[in-house]
Amino acid sequence: MSAVTSNLPQRDAFWTRVYEIARQDRDVIIISADMGAPALDKIRLDLPNQFINAGIAEQNAIVVGSGLAMAGKKVFAYAIAPFITLRCLEQVRVNNCMMKIPLTLVGVGAGFGYQDSGPTHHMLEDIAVMRAFPTIEIDSVSDSVMAADVAERSIKERRINYVRLDRQTLPDLYKTGHDFRPGLDVLRPGKDIMLVGTGIMTHAALETAEILSKKGIDAGVVDLYRLPVNAPALLNAVKGAKKVATLEEHFLPGGMGSAVAEVLADAGSTLPLKRLGLPVEKGYCYTYGGRDALHNWYGIGAEQIIDSLIGFAKG
Amino acid sequence: MTLRNDTPPLDNRSKMLRRLVIDALDGGGRGHLGSSLSLIEIVRVLYDDILRHRPQEPKWEGRDRFILSKGHGCLALYAILADKGYFPVEELRRFCHRDSYLGGHPEAGKIPGVEASTGALGHGLSIGVGMALAARIKRSGTRVFVAMGDGEINEGSVWEAAMSAGKHGLDNLVAMVDYNKIQSYGFVSEVQPLEPLADKWRAFGFAAIEVDGHDTNALRQVLAAPAETGKPTAIICHTIKGRGIPFAENEPSWHHKSKIAPDQISAMYAALENT
Repeated sequence: MSAVTSNLPQRDAFWTRVYEIARQDRDVIIISADMGAPALDKIRLDLPNQFINAGIAEQNAIVVGSGLAMAGKKVFAYAIAPFITLRCLEQVRVNNCMMKIPLTLVGVGAGFGYQDSGPTHHMLEDIAVMRAFPTIEIDSVSDSVMAADVAERSIKERRINYVRLDRQTLPDLYKTGHDFRPGLDVLRPGKDIMLVGTGIMTHAALETAEILSKKGIDAGVVDLYRLPVNAPALLNAVKGAKKVATLEEHFLPGGMGSAVAEVLADAGSTLPLKRLGLPVEKGYCYTYGGRDALHNWYGIGAEQIIDSLIGFAKG
Repeated sequence: MTLRNDTPPLDNRSKMLRRLVIDALDGGGRGHLGSSLSLIEIVRVLYDDILRHRPQEPKWEGRDRFILSKGHGCLALYAILADKGYFPVEELRRFCHRDSYLGGHPEAGKIPGVEASTGALGHGLSIGVGMALAARIKRSGTRVFVAMGDGEINEGSVWEAAMSAGKHGLDNLVAMVDYNKIQSYGFVSEVQPLEPLADKWRAFGFAAIEVDGHDTNALRQVLAAPAETGKPTAIICHTIKGRGIPFAENEPSWHHKSKIAPDQISAMYAALENT
């Protein structure tokens, strides 16, 4: 897939699209738990009646947002990812999942996006936790085009969704206008092994596939960007490959790889599967020095992935 | 309480500790400058004059406990811990380096002298309540000090802890608020006004005192005073975000910087000397 290169931070692409729609649709409300962003500044200044800074009080933000949504408002609640998910989980469970009140949780800093801020700011359990609840959809965003699309569909579809945005600027993978409804896309075909990535690890999967192909292993890439997984689409995407591997910047139990394993197992698939991610036995990481250092510590550095997959592909 | 006119000038020790903060910013190329500089005198007075502690024996059972609940202000804590000898001062320049233990938020069990991993806000006072209860049960005489940010006390959990401290009458617990008037995305007065702040703490069963958080004599006096029997203490420290570096003072954009250029570092050292 050829890329167009707007290469915006996902956060800016997301809030810019929200701003464009909110100017026309006065029911759109943005609640920030004291988080700023350049694109959010425009909303705050131009649309003061549609922006609430709830302060550093995420639990209250979720439920105030739910109250607004009960009155027909289309509400976004925004904070650093662990604080808008784990911190207010029970509020989401009762007010959104049980009462079916639509709300869009927007978390910035998926995976190790906050790099040297340490484990309190890393988001390594959100897919496992959020996909355990009925009615929540997870939008695991891999580029800025998708970020803008998710913003628009969150307003139109009035879902209960959790949008996990990367904090780093990643290259664009998709062209504007791409149809993201399937929840996953095959970005590169491959006969020997199909790599399934999400978020930043889709980018790692593309780089990995390129290197594997030079080593004689025909590797494809699927970008899985929405959970629950579209099972028929996933089974279709991997059916031509001999093996499947998942790549995620998330603890392995319950993560995207687990979701893929569930789909394959439920379908009676005998495709060998390898899940690459953060081994939970390693615990939390207190290594600093950037995202690559963290990946290496957990065993998902670029070279470590290649070595692991060569062994898997040939095994 | 107005501060700009009557807060005392920074003495050499306060400037030296701030230089250590800039050293770390220089080494790491990032950090929460404003949030750390408002805290300097608070940690200085605690570690110089109030806390019973042994830098060479960080786990000494008889120590008083200090929890920096606003973990993003960690450069102030790192500076005083290094100055006291918990770890070498040279380590500050390795802030956020690959093989350093000094990260963007303080981690217990990794950094000598750090009592609790903070960074997620609104946990420290509850930990402090637990520690103060344990000290009372053990009759150890340990005092527990918790420093929180003004934005941090937006978190409902802080007030759960406060109710609990009041209920248990924890006169060995001191809650300190670094009231620098600016939080992450704006001024406290606009984001979530806190006043009447001292009265809030009083309503939760605390003896509450307001103090100039940059006045070391005043801080020493309130921290050394005996607690009111049967009541936890709240000290509202009126501070200036970014204090000591005029171009960062009261400037929300200096809450945190992720890419600090060398010329900005030089400007900080120079501004500090001239302040």
